[in-house]
Amino acid sequence: MDRYRRRRLRNSVVIALSIGATAIGLGWLVLILGTLVYEGLSGLSPAVFTEMTPPPGAAGGLLNPIIGSLMLTILAVAIGTPVGILAGTYMAEYGKYAKLTTVVRFINDILLSAPSIVVGLFVYEILVAPMGHFSGWAGAVALALIVIPVVVRTTEDMLSLLPKELRESATALGMPRAQVIRHVAYRAARAGMITGVLLAIARISGETAPLLFTALNNQFFSSNLNAPISSLPVVIFQFALSPYADWQKLAWIGALIITFAVLALSITARALSASGKSS
Amino acid sequence: MNSMAGISNATQPPVPTVVGRASEAAGKTAEKILIRNLNFYYGDNKALKSINVPLYDRKVTAFIGPSGCGKSTLLRILNRIYGLYPHQRAEGEVLLDGKNILDPGQDLNLLRARVGMVFQKPTPFPMSIYENIAFGVRLFENLPRADIDERVQSALRRAAIWDEVKDKLRANGLSLSGGQQQRLCIARTVALKPEVILLDEPCSALDPISTAKIEELIDELKDDYTIAIVTHNMQQAARVSDHTAFMYLGELVEFDTTSKMFTTPSDRRTQDYITGRFG
Repeated sequence: MDRYRRRRLRNSVVIALSIGATAIGLGWLVLILGTLVYEGLSGLSPAVFTEMTPPPGAAGGLLNPIIGSLMLTILAVAIGTPVGILAGTYMAEYGKYAKLTTVVRFINDILLSAPSIVVGLFVYEILVAPMGHFSGWAGAVALALIVIPVVVRTTEDMLSLLPKELRESATALGMPRAQVIRHVAYRAARAGMITGVLLAIARISGETAPLLFTALNNQFFSSNLNAPISSLPVVIFQFALSPYADWQKLAWIGALIITFAVLALSITARALSASGKSS
Repeated sequence: MNSMAGISNATQPPVPTVVGRASEAAGKTAEKILIRNLNFYYGDNKALKSINVPLYDRKVTAFIGPSGCGKSTLLRILNRIYGLYPHQRAEGEVLLDGKNILDPGQDLNLLRARVGMVFQKPTPFPMSIYENIAFGVRLFENLPRADIDERVQSALRRAAIWDEVKDKLRANGLSLSGGQQQRLCIARTVALKPEVILLDEPCSALDPISTAKIEELIDELKDDYTIAIVTHNMQQAARVSDHTAFMYLGELVEFDTTSKMFTTPSDRRTQDYITGRFG
């Protein structure tokens, strides 16, 4: 009887602690999102999407960093995705039992958790310094270096999760290996692989550190990748630290835009992986 | 059923027809496949020990034996699917129409078109029912659309699943029930017009009704194909096969006509296994 009561007591304590921990975690998240929406939404207007970043004290918007961020992200994904998918395919299909795969996987895991500022410095060394100036290209390469390990990892994982019978039965029909991969394995793992790319986009869309040393920033509208280019995270960084109230407001709005773009991507990724599982 | 006559004519493999008829006239069945002194290794582990066994032309041969005795391993040699995995190797001879398929010069994709295989777990490809079958056909033959349609239809009829899927050929193959998926996999194999069909416990994941349908199917298919079936179910072996091979611990203990094996086996171990004394 006594033991039973003690057990119930312990149970209620643990439940209370768990609920408390969850509340703390969620509480901060709600608070962050709430502040962001409160501060950002009030300043959101069409002008944000049509006007350039203003000098202090003037009215303006975020058109140049939005375009810059879009260009950098698209370019980074365009560079990083094929490399990541090909490497992941090698690891899961051709080199499944190769020593090289173990080595690549280990290095990839390090790259996956490498501080992004290191990536920025690295690209500064190999691109910005030799070219003599900051550029959009350097920024895109830095972001691509962050995309690659994410895509490598998800591609390898998703392909490795496929039942070996699927590959065997395709092979047993006399299908050459390349076709088994392209028409059967990729198709079966498609949802997971796309999810990986979306997660990589979510990851890079908030990165500031690698861009500080590479794409830098641009007060003016520029779509020239050979020159410094503006981006949302860097503008947020600069404006938020400024003493000017209207710059700070724009920083809030920029943060809101990034957050909701990432949120939308994450929801899409989740929906995709859910639909991949059920089919 | 009318269309069946046309199909079975078309599916008769050219070479063995001659061989088969000639020897039938002589009162003997021809060997479609002859396995001689076959050893198989998983790494250093010897899984098959000097196996000698024939598969007779257009007969059903069942392989029975306790789990791990090597019967699936043996089947997986006949289309060299084991070659997908390093450290697995076969020594000896497997003569298909007199030609050793273990020869390193053997074209594996052509071999697999001649020797089809259906696996334990149904594995439809993640594409439509129609494409599941058409895909394999297109690998080997460049046919006009109408002919492909024809082949898809006849294969589905052959696998006794046409009536269930004829109105939803565009539906995903994965939307079918387990039993239907397995018949789709059989249809996929039959559509390539192979000469030999290997069935690796094709009913072990199916309910009794689906099992009965597949057994009926095997009975029909043997008019045109040489069939090897691995099964854990001795009643099934007795029902569907003409010859039975009993394997134990990587050795072929006994091979004979099914009726003899199940009534008066000559080896004590066969008798013990069949009567359920071990296994």
